[in-house]
Amino acid sequence: MFFRMIRGTLFRQWKKMLMIAFTIALGASLATAMLSVMLDVGDKVNQELKTYGANITVVPKDSSILNNLYDVEGGDFGSSYLKEEELGKIKTIFWAFNIVDYAPFVNTEAKLDDGTKVNVVGSWFNHHMELPTGEKLDAGITSMRSWWEIKDGKWIDEQKSDNHNVAMVGTAVAEKAGVKAGDALHLTGSAGDRTVRVVGIFDAGGDEDDQIFMPLNTAQALSDLNGRVDSIEVSALTTPDNELAVKAAKEGPSSLTVSQYETWYCTAYVSSICYQIQEVITDSVASPVRQVADSEGAIMEKTELLMILITILSLIGAALGICNLVTASVMERSSEIGLMKAIGAQNGSITGLVLTEIFITAIIGGVAGFFIGFGFAQIIGQTVFGSAITMRAMVIPIVAVLVVLVTLAGSIPAIRMLLRLRPAEVLHGR
Amino acid sequence: MKKRRMYFRMITASLIRRRSRMLVALLSIAIGATILSGLVTIYYDVPRQMGAQFRNYGANMIFTAVDGSFTQDDINSGLSYIKKDDIVGVAPYRYENVRIREKSILAAGTDMEGAKAASPYWSIDGEWPSKDSEILIGANAAEQYELRIGDDVTVSYTPENAQVSGDNGEDIVEDETIDFKVVGILDTGGNEEDYVYMSMSDLEKLTNSETKIDVAELSISASSDQLKKYSQEISNQVSSINARLIKRVTASETTVLTKLQALVLLVTVVVLALTMICVATTMTAVVTERRKEIGLRKAIGASDKSIIWEFMGESMLLGCVGGILGSVLGFVFAQQVSIHVFSSSISFRPLLVPITILVSVAVTGISSLMPIKSATDVDPALVLKGE
Repeated sequence: MFFRMIRGTLFRQWKKMLMIAFTIALGASLATAMLSVMLDVGDKVNQELKTYGANITVVPKDSSILNNLYDVEGGDFGSSYLKEEELGKIKTIFWAFNIVDYAPFVNTEAKLDDGTKVNVVGSWFNHHMELPTGEKLDAGITSMRSWWEIKDGKWIDEQKSDNHNVAMVGTAVAEKAGVKAGDALHLTGSAGDRTVRVVGIFDAGGDEDDQIFMPLNTAQALSDLNGRVDSIEVSALTTPDNELAVKAAKEGPSSLTVSQYETWYCTAYVSSICYQIQEVITDSVASPVRQVADSEGAIMEKTELLMILITILSLIGAALGICNLVTASVMERSSEIGLMKAIGAQNGSITGLVLTEIFITAIIGGVAGFFIGFGFAQIIGQTVFGSAITMRAMVIPIVAVLVVLVTLAGSIPAIRMLLRLRPAEVLHGR
Repeated sequence: MKKRRMYFRMITASLIRRRSRMLVALLSIAIGATILSGLVTIYYDVPRQMGAQFRNYGANMIFTAVDGSFTQDDINSGLSYIKKDDIVGVAPYRYENVRIREKSILAAGTDMEGAKAASPYWSIDGEWPSKDSEILIGANAAEQYELRIGDDVTVSYTPENAQVSGDNGEDIVEDETIDFKVVGILDTGGNEEDYVYMSMSDLEKLTNSETKIDVAELSISASSDQLKKYSQEISNQVSSINARLIKRVTASETTVLTKLQALVLLVTVVVLALTMICVATTMTAVVTERRKEIGLRKAIGASDKSIIWEFMGESMLLGCVGGILGSVLGFVFAQQVSIHVFSSSISFRPLLVPITILVSVAVTGISSLMPIKSATDVDPALVLKGE
């Protein structure tokens, strides 16, 4: 009998029930979309901030003093180099998944034919790597120097077959040497000479305009630096620093207790990623680039907070909207409830009946709303960030709890009010 | 005259008598309006507020000398072309080679307050120099010289016109020396760690020379187009200065900021669309409930037009009140968000108030029009009978 009554309501009053389901679906889709976007916005913005370049630099232990203070020119082949063969290890650290990009650099000097000296930098452009984990990665400066404006020609494509003896020339050098894309440029290094084809001219708006960039091996061959790397720039997704991270960075990891150390090591703080890189690259010092690392932290924090607040507002809006409509639709049924009471129904069974009806509607609406909301989240992700929003499992229980609570909150006061009514009055139409 | 008074009485009376139902409808309209005005305010304010956050990346424009060096006056005349509120920080720098313990090191003279504002990411262990003869030393340099905070250090400078001559190769012109106290160690992760920083006046005393500035770093809160305009204008108008943008910072800021704004816009649109539909369903429910009333009116001879007018008047009044409530609450919400997220207040946008009210009146009007129409189409006898 109970089920027949419910079936009756659902089928005969389907218009009204559809309206409730529709509103609940709207609310649930709003909640799902906002929650998914909110939970994913950190990662997405972090990815976007990668356009600022590396947030970690790795240099050999003594290099900074040698290069900057003594002005050692490209002729010193001491111990102050990193090993090229160790580069792949960066993608094997604990937080390997957070390393989104990196590029090695080797700096050397070469003479042009007219005798002027130019700085030559060897690096990766879009170096293809297939990692043991099965992940594929194109790393290099094509993505890490996204602010370069290509004035003429294009980026070097390392994955093409003719990727040796090519170069990209800074605008300042190009102007001085009078070269343009497609020209050949003859460079004499300390250990050999090469004729390179100029693939592109770039404007970096900084010191790099005075440099020539070429693939790592070509630059190494110019100065007999095979297998050696001056520095590595790493772009990593990081968690904003907290007290623990500051302590670890200042006093060193050895100052932490065992449990603090574990927390620190297993959180993607910029300092712990630096530490892990130092572990795999021999004789290296990895340090955060404050300009990028700190600003990233600040911007991420603000964006996440902003999204949380907008999400809370829309959740409240959705909740009140659903609540309103559920109350309205229960109140509408005063004469029906009056009739049931008049023919002897218990308060408990009436409440059960109305609640079951509404919950069946709510579940249908909620499930539909969840999928619609997921669609909305994907639309936002694709339009804004050009990538899909990852669905977090925790969204499902949150939305479910929200729908249940809101439906309860909307229907219970209305039902209680209706139960207090006297059947005679209601039926009489007052 | 009488007719109009009757009309208002009917509208207000029905609102007041059906208090609880109308409160529910009003609440939902007010929430919709709050979300509208709150989110739109935030949307317009995000670029400004986020732009300020992006100034954490430091300078986005530099002044370089057209030949040799320039002075503070040149900087000031350059700054006069930039809107006052847009300037976040200006730091002049003068670089000289000095020696500490007979090893040469690059010393920069600057205005410490300006440097602090233009490069917020500088992390200082200790304090910023605030008095004369205080020095800030880069982390690498500090390690190399084994200097700690509080140590005294003697900095010497050989004037450029010094000549090494004489039989023993002695300096004829004596070195200038100043004793400094290390008050802070600078950690940036960049080249700055290899230098020492002192106040401009100390460097002038040390080098015994007039003010001259090699480069000035500017942190300006403006869009990239505006920055381009500024830099062109300054380069053209001030003959001694070449204003250049730091592409790495400006280009990246534009990319990220555009995306963030697009995100807030899309979120606003989605939330708004859904709230509007929610308001509409509530209004529909409220009107549908009153089919009996409509039937009764028709039965005693009211024309369809007058019924529609009356109901529309009622819902528009609701929409208006809800809109006013919403624009106030929305501003409060936006203000709270701004204070909590960006710790700065938001400017009130007067134009948003009429827009919010108009939109809420329109939404309530349209959403109640359809059920009223369908109710007036029905035969009054059927409605009254309860079918």
